[in-house]
Amino acid sequence: MKRLKKQFSLFSAIVDAFVEPPETIRYPFEPLNLPDVIRGALVLDTEKCSGCGLCVRNCPADALELDNKSRDEFRLIHYPARCAYCGQCEDSCRSGAIYHTNQLVKPITDPETCVVILHDKRG
Amino acid sequence: MSKISIPIGPQHPLLKEPLSMMVDISGERVLGASLRLGYVHRGIERLAQTRTYTQNVHLIERICGICSHIHTTTYCQAVEAVLGVEIPLRASYLRALMCELERVHSHLLWLGILAKHIGLDTIFMHAWHDRESVLDVMEEISGGRVLHAANQIGGVRFDIDHDHDSMIRSALKKLHEQVAGLLDVIENEPALIARTKGVAPVSPEVIKKYCVVGPMARASGVNVDMRRENPIPPYDQLDFSVVTHPDGDAWSRTYVRVEEIRVSLNLCESILEQLPEGPVNIRVPRRVPAGEVIIRSEAPRGELFYYLRSDGTDKPARLKVRTPTLAALSLLPEQLSAIHVADIPVVLAGVDLCVACADR
Repeated sequence: MKRLKKQFSLFSAIVDAFVEPPETIRYPFEPLNLPDVIRGALVLDTEKCSGCGLCVRNCPADALELDNKSRDEFRLIHYPARCAYCGQCEDSCRSGAIYHTNQLVKPITDPETCVVILHDKRG
Repeated sequence: MSKISIPIGPQHPLLKEPLSMMVDISGERVLGASLRLGYVHRGIERLAQTRTYTQNVHLIERICGICSHIHTTTYCQAVEAVLGVEIPLRASYLRALMCELERVHSHLLWLGILAKHIGLDTIFMHAWHDRESVLDVMEEISGGRVLHAANQIGGVRFDIDHDHDSMIRSALKKLHEQVAGLLDVIENEPALIARTKGVAPVSPEVIKKYCVVGPMARASGVNVDMRRENPIPPYDQLDFSVVTHPDGDAWSRTYVRVEEIRVSLNLCESILEQLPEGPVNIRVPRRVPAGEVIIRSEAPRGELFYYLRSDGTDKPARLKVRTPTLAALSLLPEQLSAIHVADIPVVLAGVDLCVACADR
């Protein structure tokens, strides 16, 4: 009996393999339901950003750059190809202006998208 | 019979990471082997001296792709020790939860690789299927499957709520059943026993001579575990057993690792039950006062050693990392002598090499 049970020990796995849907998702042809905590595309709330540069200072991949003339005139530049999507900028920002969404970042095919100006506050 | 030297690596189907070996064989017997390391040396220790403490958390995470969380945990513990801050108890419990989940996924990954090398593809598929559920849990709570970015100096960056708790508990329950099945296979499957029992046994004396740590040492009967020897909270408040086996062969290494999965699953349940309320992180100063510290923790492959020296600036003056694989690699030539050529993959898999960790 024990031997017979062993012989059929994989039976449930075989049934599961037939019944369960495929694990793979046909992204980008089907939508992806990712957890909210996924660190995807970077977004900046320009209303909240004060240009303090904490995100730039703590970025481990040098993916953010602050081009500032004064406190009121600055540009915040993001280089997505350098970004490690670690979430340090979100963690460092005291006003909650910069954050990751759970949207996947598509591969960069257009050189124009290698530099993203997140905020341009110049006169 | 004449001696033939066969080069294995740095790129070889047998190896998952670059490592060069020159194996001397005579007929079907291996006479000895020599190693060459350094193919994935990235100069991380030197690079860490040029980055701030905060930036280094993410740099240190990239030392290893499998045990990334324990590296950042140990680094953060070192910085916190020099700073003289005590993190909230909830943060240390959450760190330990991730460490134990990481140990489960690392050991399941290893079991899959061993099974693949032996030719038992069914176990490989089962082990990696189970590992996937651990990775799903880690992704759900931290936002990353491999690079979790869960730690920060002063605590953790994630918290778990009631939904997470029930999700983790149901995954743990399922994993308990799966691991019991895997253990049954390991103890009774004739093909696995034939390929691993008595292969490349290592005595406790040799383990101590080469300073080998982790499951390799415990499989030879050396009862050492940093979670017990050097208990950093919450391990001092958790009850767990250290799995050892006296034989020291490839089978006992398999047994010890799979039993450790069960211990880690039990630890995860204990952590969830005892998880205290409170904040998950505290704000710490940017500059770290001058001082030095040594922190040791138990990575999935054994004792992980961090030495940190601060000179009062916002960048470390010296960061030294000693990973468990390095000691296991020094033992490898001895293990590879006087075995059959067909046993080379089993011996290599049994060590559970992480060349990226060793080279840094």
